[in-house]
Amino acid sequence: MNEKLVQVFSPGSVAVIGASNSFDKLGYHVMKSLTGNYHGKVFPINPKSDRVWGLASYPSLEAVPGDVHLAVIAVPARMVPDTLHACGRKGVRGVVLITAGFREIEDDGGRVLEEEIKEIAGQYGLPIIGPNTFGFVNLSSGVNASFTSEFSRIERGGVALISQSGGICHLCGFLAIEQRIAMSKLMSLGNRCNVDFPEVLTHLVEKDSSTRVIALYIEGLDDPRRLLDVAKSLRGRKPIIAYKAGKSEKGDSASRFHTGSLAGNHAIWKGALRQAGILEVTGTEELLDTAKAIDSCSLPGGTGMAVLSGQAGPGMIASDALEPAGLKLSRFSEATQRRINDLLPPIAIRTNPVDMGPAWYDPKNIIAILKAVIDDEHTDGVIFLAMYASANLNLAEGMVEYMKAADSFQKPVIACFTAPPGIWDEPIEALDRKKGVAILPTPERAVQAMANLWKVSSLSKGRGVKTWDR
Amino acid sequence: MGSLMLGVDALAFLEKEGFPVLRSFLATSEDDAAGKAAEIGFPVTLKLSSPDVIHKTEADGIRASLRDESEVRQGFRQIVGSFATDQPEKRLEGVMVQEQGGGVEVIVGMATDEQFGPVLMFGLGGIFVEAMKDVSFRLIPMEASDAKDMMEELKGRQVLENPRSGSVDLPAVQNLLVGISEFITHHPEIREMDLNPVFVSSHGARICDARIMVL
Repeated sequence: MNEKLVQVFSPGSVAVIGASNSFDKLGYHVMKSLTGNYHGKVFPINPKSDRVWGLASYPSLEAVPGDVHLAVIAVPARMVPDTLHACGRKGVRGVVLITAGFREIEDDGGRVLEEEIKEIAGQYGLPIIGPNTFGFVNLSSGVNASFTSEFSRIERGGVALISQSGGICHLCGFLAIEQRIAMSKLMSLGNRCNVDFPEVLTHLVEKDSSTRVIALYIEGLDDPRRLLDVAKSLRGRKPIIAYKAGKSEKGDSASRFHTGSLAGNHAIWKGALRQAGILEVTGTEELLDTAKAIDSCSLPGGTGMAVLSGQAGPGMIASDALEPAGLKLSRFSEATQRRINDLLPPIAIRTNPVDMGPAWYDPKNIIAILKAVIDDEHTDGVIFLAMYASANLNLAEGMVEYMKAADSFQKPVIACFTAPPGIWDEPIEALDRKKGVAILPTPERAVQAMANLWKVSSLSKGRGVKTWDR
Repeated sequence: MGSLMLGVDALAFLEKEGFPVLRSFLATSEDDAAGKAAEIGFPVTLKLSSPDVIHKTEADGIRASLRDESEVRQGFRQIVGSFATDQPEKRLEGVMVQEQGGGVEVIVGMATDEQFGPVLMFGLGGIFVEAMKDVSFRLIPMEASDAKDMMEELKGRQVLENPRSGSVDLPAVQNLLVGISEFITHHPEIREMDLNPVFVSSHGARICDARIMVL
């Protein structure tokens, strides 16, 4: 399975079964995605037309000359069994089965049909992603095997989002474009015929060097222990974070035991995820922020934070957010404090949180302060806050200039740069996700992401979880 | 449905398996109770023992901190008397005479979940578990570090570290949690279990009451 998945996710050739020229067919949109920036061969399969999306079309899979690594299937459900047999005979490495109408529908026929395709898949050893999926996008190898071509606009990076829901992929995929989150893979597992979370997790950890953090969206699993056991066996290799939907707290109300009545599904999930070394997050924002921070920053070695702010207020709310999140303001060493005092006139608070206001017009000094606090042994990470004001227009540009020569920060720096649209756009883009810096929208979100970096660091080492959940 | 093990039976069962329990005997007469109390050493607690009563406090079935033989005799008569008056239809097995427990009350439990199989629960006793549901879960089997995490992730964990009450014996709790996890791993016939309360003092954890459902 693992060897085949390598070819499925980075195929040299793709057949689109049900490829179409008409907008109201999913096969149209899959073709649109694949004719974008994919460099391998694309074979549209459609018995009724000669050309689809300008490419020579084939009446059947058998008619395709040469090897087909991946088949994307978008034909009606009743035609799926025969289509899968054809894939098996052709030696296709794996399938994305977009077609819906299997066990997710009320009609029992759907369940029966899914049993049938499972059997066919087993017969040929054919990995099937889906059914009932929008497909997958592999940004690392430039393959968009989905019916949403716009996902190709996501930047290439280290976040793999594996979801039980296509809708969540669409929610997160477009937010990723907007918030400069760079992804390696975006995938909905659909009904998880035989490619389920454990298979994909193993692939991403063992075989996918472009993925640096794995984000899971889970609704419910028949056999959650299989996922948890695999995650546990991979513990410490790559950070895994999970957003678990379905937060019912209800235990077994018929139980005459305290434990039974308190053992709600979500309460158990919470403990089980932690036991497996997976960080649980509780919202879309937190999932994306955390994934971006892990992809961009070093993991902190402790909880001591330096807060550097251009204005006092944002620095104050960031400092307030630290303790409930399990972090704390660090105390600078004498040498660091002297260095800061050299760089900042004594007209603002120069201890942590540092009010950098007086240095606002001097990006070189700002960078020097940042470096000084990072070099301090008591600093494990930095929250850096810069709000635009007319007079500091050149700050962000200036920072970009000075950062060019700087080495990557070995401690995490999470920053907020807030400006009217169109003013700092380019420098923000130039600073974000470079040299160990991640940019997030608000001080509170920056702190939460920082706290999660610390938790991920603790989890990967199997260390205690004290101060969580305050 | 399985069979339910309660009170003295459950405690005797756990003790046989090597778990730390408060010394407990079932007394069926006043003389018997006085004798058992002397054997255990004062103070002792008396508890109503009836398969039909879940909440002993509500049935006026508990007398704690009894310091001598006369208090034990009086306590025995009161429990049996009010039980006979208030709940004549229910069965009385006797009165449990138990070594007096002390320290922080915690709950240790296990349940068998449809999807996850056996799970272990830890929480602080009394109001914390009843009203605040301040509990943590792990899948069985689990490791010693998981047991430590279970304790640390409770919102009210400071109760276990309160300098005024004296820090409690956390390693003993950890041993108990790991011990129950191992025990359940080897006894899949046990479907549900409440060890509630477990008294944790500065030296050791002792199970005070238990309910066990065996398939």
